[in-house]
Amino acid sequence: MQTLEQPPSATPKPDADTGAVSGPGPAGDPAEGHISKTVDQSLVDLRLRAVAMGGLVIDQVASCVRALVEHDAKLAALVLSRETLVNAYDGQLDRDTLTFIALQQPVASDLRMVRAIARAGLELERIGDESKKIARFASRAAAQGGHDPVVAVSRYLRHMGELSVTMLRSAVRALDEADAGLARQVLARDRELDAEFATALRQLMSFVMQDHQFLKATLDTVFALKGLERMGDHAKNVAEQVLYMVGDDAESGRG
Amino acid sequence: MAAVAQLTLEDLRPGLGWRKQLDKLFVIVGLLVMIACLAILAILFLDLVRDGASRFGWDFFTSFPSRKAERAGILSAAVGTTMIMFVTALVALPVGVAAAIYLEEYAPKNWFTGIIEINVTNLAGVPSIVYGLLALGLFVYQFGLGQSVLSAGLTLALLILPIVIVATREALRSVPKAIREAAYGLGATRWEVTRDHVLPYSTGGILTGLILGLSRAIGETAPIITIGALSFIAFLPPSPVSGEFPFLNFEWLRSEFTAMPIQMFNWVSRPDQAFQANAAAAGAILLGMTLLMNALAIWIRYRFRKRINW
Amino acid sequence: MQGEQTSPSAGPPSVSITVEDRKAVRANAPKARAEALNFWYGSNQALKGINLSIPEHQVTALIGPSGCGKSTFLRCFNRMHDLQPDTRYQGSIMLRPDDINLVGAGVDPIEVRMRIGMVFQKPNPFPKTVFENVAYGLRLRGVRNRTDLAERVEGALRAAAIWDEVKDRLSDSALALSGGQMQRLCIARALATQPEILLFDEPTSALDPIATAKIEELISELRQHVTILIVTHNMQQAARVSDFTAFMYLGELVEVGATSMIFTNPGKKATEDYITGRYG
Repeated sequence: MQTLEQPPSATPKPDADTGAVSGPGPAGDPAEGHISKTVDQSLVDLRLRAVAMGGLVIDQVASCVRALVEHDAKLAALVLSRETLVNAYDGQLDRDTLTFIALQQPVASDLRMVRAIARAGLELERIGDESKKIARFASRAAAQGGHDPVVAVSRYLRHMGELSVTMLRSAVRALDEADAGLARQVLARDRELDAEFATALRQLMSFVMQDHQFLKATLDTVFALKGLERMGDHAKNVAEQVLYMVGDDAESGRG
Repeated sequence: MAAVAQLTLEDLRPGLGWRKQLDKLFVIVGLLVMIACLAILAILFLDLVRDGASRFGWDFFTSFPSRKAERAGILSAAVGTTMIMFVTALVALPVGVAAAIYLEEYAPKNWFTGIIEINVTNLAGVPSIVYGLLALGLFVYQFGLGQSVLSAGLTLALLILPIVIVATREALRSVPKAIREAAYGLGATRWEVTRDHVLPYSTGGILTGLILGLSRAIGETAPIITIGALSFIAFLPPSPVSGEFPFLNFEWLRSEFTAMPIQMFNWVSRPDQAFQANAAAAGAILLGMTLLMNALAIWIRYRFRKRINW
Repeated sequence: MQGEQTSPSAGPPSVSITVEDRKAVRANAPKARAEALNFWYGSNQALKGINLSIPEHQVTALIGPSGCGKSTFLRCFNRMHDLQPDTRYQGSIMLRPDDINLVGAGVDPIEVRMRIGMVFQKPNPFPKTVFENVAYGLRLRGVRNRTDLAERVEGALRAAAIWDEVKDRLSDSALALSGGQMQRLCIARALATQPEILLFDEPTSALDPIATAKIEELISELRQHVTILIVTHNMQQAARVSDFTAFMYLGELVEVGATSMIFTNPGKKATEDYITGRYG
């Protein structure tokens, strides 16, 4: 596993080395307890991998938003360079979950856990893609010396970025700890994010109506806002996978 | 505890040599013992044959006993033995098989059947003369069957009954439980299971048991002497088959009789040396018959075993 | 019509019941129902208060660790325990539609076994010809006519998906067949008498994977003709082959449900622990 460069004031991410195996609940770690220790180990590894990927993606999101709002070209470049790492994580997770299913024929809770992890990986990879797009915009904006539309909604960008990061961090921790309560909080938070997006959009529209010349930049900003909103949606999907894994499907609406 | 040293092949080799020697030694000892037994049997047989060689011939088989050794034959004895064996088999088989089926399939497993089982095995060890006394009192006098082929047959049937029962039980037991379960599963009653599956597959073992019993009975002297086999009979029992209606009669069962062992005993006790040859010849023939019956039993067992392999 | 007197039991009810309704009702109707079933081997209680419905024309699997009583429960259905001394039933297994208590004291075990068939763990054909093996059950029931026998034997062998392999070998010894063929012959033997329920006691544990797959396929097809109850140690087999799965533990029924639910989201933790390999 590649050691990650820490940006100067990066938001702390869950420690992949110690955060993983502290199970909640009186029944102990849901990934463990099998007669076969190999199966225990495989499941714990899979979950560890997903959590590590989550940590990386959280960092990507925080960094790309900061790069955009602070016109930081170097940070944007860093985010872009780490995109391949995110994809590599997803590819590995995909392969490993498939292998586990083929070799161990899991059922019930084990099967749900593996499937949840695989789908969470997919969602995280998509968040990574959104961060990449925002990072690209941030590069362009920084090169052109700051965009007024970005400045106009920078407060919203920052706030939405924080919200997305919080949601994502909670979702990943919920996955790690099989915490249904935490997952439900993420679902609730998404509404907040959507509201923020709507407000930011209105702000942008009034800005555009005052000054027509920054149309392209405005569109790009809109896409950035949309991207952040989508990140929230993906984080929500991860939380839904947690609920499916735990067996509490009523809220998720998907099996 | 001291650490266990790793044993190399060199360490093991000397012990291995000694163990192999012991193995070979056992084979040699076993072989020697077997050869010794066979040799004794062979010497016995050859001795009899040699002593009786002068008497072998068609007329030996077809002559009645006579005071003259050269003219004495075993006709009546052989026929008597054959008839007695016939009656013995006819009585021992159904009674023995039925008893074994009851004990094995039907009887509940409690202390009472346990006692019965022990006693059946004990009966095999009862001295044969005791059977003779029993038969004398019961068959000859009480039932009024007289000193006849029928009495002799019944007596010997009693004698070999334990052998037949035990052999039949072993044969019944060797039918796997799975076959019975399959038959029961199809809705068969206990009798249907026994009749259609257990008995047919035990036939080999049952017949073997019967033949082994007969080969023991053929040489039993004490019981049939006790019930009064005569030793000088110059006539044959009436033929069971006659030319006129009804074609079968049972007069022969009530007739007086003699048997091979009796005849041999009689000849051996004569002072005249010439009769020894007769006795030897008869003995050889008797031994030959016994060996033949045992061979038949082995062959039957082999044939039946080939047909059915579980 | 006015003035006419109609008898109280005149005519069918006027409500219309569609064919689909009937099928749906029949599909879920139980063929047999165990109610408060207890069973003792001597003084040892092997089954404790079992309540279980066996739906008609469906495959119900019984799973559980060794010694949980699943084979014991299975053998209650055809009274095989009556062949051992000192066994005792309490409660009932009601067979529909006649509502006969299969384990009732007044019910003849021979009669029960004529209506309920069984296939055993190790293939156990009789050491007779293939034909005679299948015909035996029919002969017991008094079928003597040679044409009848031949027809029904062929039907049973076809239903057991083995006709093509043995049609030229009907007079050969059944013991000359391979293990998988022998087991299918045993299935044909049980089918010949048209049982209402067919019991399978770990039918493939002695067979190789291909023979196992053929028999699982056969069991799947047979459900349209007969209700099936199967005991298996192999959970994946239960998952592949059954419609309903019942989990037993220490003589009790822990959980029963649709197989798809039991293997994705079971209700009881004990079931979950067993099927995910956490048991023990």
